[in-house]
Amino acid sequence: MDDDKMTDDTLSTLKLLRTSAPSSEAKKLALNAAMLAFDAAQPKAAPAKRNWLNRWTLGAGLGVPLGTAVAALVLLPLGTQLYTATSHHIDVPKKDVTIATTDLPAHQDEGEAAKTVATTAAPDNATPPSTSTMTLKQAPTLQKPMAPVAPPVDADQRAVAQATVIAEDAPQTDALATVAPAPVPEAVTRDMTVAAPKLAAPMPANGMLTGGLAQQPASVVPYQPSGDTFQKFDENRTKITKTDPVSTFSIDVDTASYSYVRGVLKDGNLPDPDAVRLEEMINYFPYDYPAPTSLDTPFKATMAVIPTPWNDKTELLEIGIKGYVPPPSERKPENLTFLIDTSGSMDEPNKLPLLKRSFGLLVDTLQPNDTVSIVTYAGSAGVALKATKAKDRSTILGAIDALEPEGSTDGVDGIALAYRVNAEAKGDGTVNRVILATDGDFNVGIDEPDQLKTYIKTQRDQGIFLSVMGFGRGNLDDALMQALAQNGNGNASYIDNFQEAQKVLVEEGGANMVTIAKDVKIQVEFNPAQVSEYRLIGYETRALANEDFNNDKVDAGEIGAGHTVTAIYEITPAGAGADLNDPLRYATSAAASAPVSDELGFLKMRYKAPEGDTSKLISTPITKDLVVANMDAAGTDQRFAAAVAAFGQKLKGSNYGETLSWQQITDLANGAKGADIDGYRAEFVQLVKIAGLLNPDHNGNGKSIYDDPNGGKGQPTRGTGGQPTAN
Amino acid sequence: MRSAATVSNGALVARAKTGDRQAFGQLVEDNYDFIFRTACKWTGKKSDAEDIAQEVCIKLATAIQSFDGRSAFTSWLYRVTINMVRDMQRSSVRRDKNVDAFSLVHPEDDPGNQEESATAKELWRAVSELPEKQREAIMLVYAEDMNHADAAEIMGCKEATVSWHIHEAKKALRGLL
Repeated sequence: MDDDKMTDDTLSTLKLLRTSAPSSEAKKLALNAAMLAFDAAQPKAAPAKRNWLNRWTLGAGLGVPLGTAVAALVLLPLGTQLYTATSHHIDVPKKDVTIATTDLPAHQDEGEAAKTVATTAAPDNATPPSTSTMTLKQAPTLQKPMAPVAPPVDADQRAVAQATVIAEDAPQTDALATVAPAPVPEAVTRDMTVAAPKLAAPMPANGMLTGGLAQQPASVVPYQPSGDTFQKFDENRTKITKTDPVSTFSIDVDTASYSYVRGVLKDGNLPDPDAVRLEEMINYFPYDYPAPTSLDTPFKATMAVIPTPWNDKTELLEIGIKGYVPPPSERKPENLTFLIDTSGSMDEPNKLPLLKRSFGLLVDTLQPNDTVSIVTYAGSAGVALKATKAKDRSTILGAIDALEPEGSTDGVDGIALAYRVNAEAKGDGTVNRVILATDGDFNVGIDEPDQLKTYIKTQRDQGIFLSVMGFGRGNLDDALMQALAQNGNGNASYIDNFQEAQKVLVEEGGANMVTIAKDVKIQVEFNPAQVSEYRLIGYETRALANEDFNNDKVDAGEIGAGHTVTAIYEITPAGAGADLNDPLRYATSAAASAPVSDELGFLKMRYKAPEGDTSKLISTPITKDLVVANMDAAGTDQRFAAAVAAFGQKLKGSNYGETLSWQQITDLANGAKGADIDGYRAEFVQLVKIAGLLNPDHNGNGKSIYDDPNGGKGQPTRGTGGQPTAN
Repeated sequence: MRSAATVSNGALVARAKTGDRQAFGQLVEDNYDFIFRTACKWTGKKSDAEDIAQEVCIKLATAIQSFDGRSAFTSWLYRVTINMVRDMQRSSVRRDKNVDAFSLVHPEDDPGNQEESATAKELWRAVSELPEKQREAIMLVYAEDMNHADAAEIMGCKEATVSWHIHEAKKALRGLL
């Protein structure tokens, strides 16, 4: 009886089972599906009541999602345009795109015309309504009565493949007819702009893209290789110091965004704006900040306030953080497990073969006492190399060399196996890390991102960290890569060539493998008497709530040995007259009662020791003597970081800092190259040049060398501290 | 516990049965979370739970006609959901044995009651290994805090049968707890 009672009590704890919240996406899908099923189940079509459900269906019980139907309608003519454009006007110069898109009214007419063509053509070629799931892949056939067999124009196909992201299932014929004359709802037009830039890259002048693209004449026309996905985010806004004096974010040492963007640019395309994460661009470059001298303060902040290159009235507060570099004698043995994707898609020169050579580099940097093991997933599954001491170098290299990409992708629990192998090789005081290398195929045995993250967090709590290395393009799930590395206390790198492998694995190998402080959070409180507005550049995906700063349970970024991290705020000095916001009418008294201080603000940083659970605080005032009045007096690191920020913002089509021309950015960077031993900064200048070629400046503010016979040099550049060069 | 919801559910069900789209949409929307959470507790996997919830929503479109109001709507919905879970778990493809260790929620994402929910998770794992009927009985009586009569209604069997399943389940679990 007692026994029974005990079991009862134990079983009652089942009540405490917690479930995660359903995702709104899944819910919407389910509700949508339910409504369709409901309509199908009704004996007669339900009367078309104009109520809130109308957004799900179109007309009398057709059960066609309105949004997709309209999106498809807009996309269909696009197909025509693309087709005609690519077949007749292949050689129309890129420049014309920008000019044409400013010419809005004409396009709308064309657009209407194209729409009408599409609608009248539709009934002839449409699939029977009953089978309803006609995908947009078929769309070109549908709206091309004169050319029923769509010629396999490359750009066309790519564009359409992209388009299916927006409208997966298809409109039925009569739905098309019904909706065609109606104005395109605003929401859909906005959706279109998401698709439009992708389509626009290969599409010359006479495109019928309405609205969105035309509204941003000077904006970047991004191209994104199909399949790569990025987390969407909104750029940080300018905040009023009086109402919102505190800014909090997590540190981020990742650099994947820069190498990805570099690869895309070098291929002659502009990256998706969401692929451009400013903090990762800035942090890619080594900066020569002074390092702390002992592990008691594992990192040190160097601050400077310099003039903003893109705004005369504001200043940039640059916070540079450098991590402690332990002397070789303090180095702990490393226990590394490579988890390598050997699926068929890895069989490209810039994937598995590059990966093999990269890891060969890494092995060369290891100490005899370090341990390496290799686990593969997809294709040749299992342990490719049992835990082996690094002194047995030939065995390790042999195992790496023997890796072969294989076609099949049977879901084996690669990740669990990797962690198990790593755990077995754990020793006293070893640094344990699993390094996942993939081209985006996370078929590691856990099919759901949330569960994968949870699993990685659990393992992190056991002392095994995770780093993720992305290879190749076309299949990369950048958002998931980032999320996994963040949850695993590791970093995400994107390796696009051997040089990058060398940077990530050898030069920064120590930083990337040895964590010296974890959960590093930064909080800056600005003084409203000195700074009226501020804006954090980048770190959008790393924002923290202010109250999370002191909450040790909230996870944040890690700093490795010798890492440098730079954060930049654009600040508006009080009284500079550059405020984006009007002064507050009623809030003056509160500010007046605050003690008058010369400080611009106060910097606080929290971190935990790698094995600790309690955070420590480092704080320092941001004083006025940090202010550098003119750009020439600023350090090269500071100026270069500002140039990278300006480049990133322009590349993104940011709301801020677009006033600089490519040439001005080039000049700014050229003047701030410093020693540049590894040539990273010179390479950056090349990228700015490519971006300028792909998206020449045409708007009034910035002149580009391509529409100014003087090569942009007629425009005085502001305090770049160097000779303007066309490089 | 479920009085307010039942009233409004009842009214919506009646209207939905006559073909009122809005009422049906409202009904599904109101109950989606309940369906999802039940499925989630049963399967321990968010992706499965979302799939099941969607299937249940679709099924409701037709099944709503067969709801006769003799039992409470939520009880009926339990039954529909649990049947769907059963169907899905029986199709062998769905049973991914690799993914047993990391279901539900990491404590960091859900800071409350960490210790207890960890125990609950372990217990859940043991329970999920039980035969189907025993597992259902245990989940309804302990996780959903129902009496044997209510559980019997949902499982579509006699109260005594539920008690027997519980008894058997406890016997099986005793060695593990």
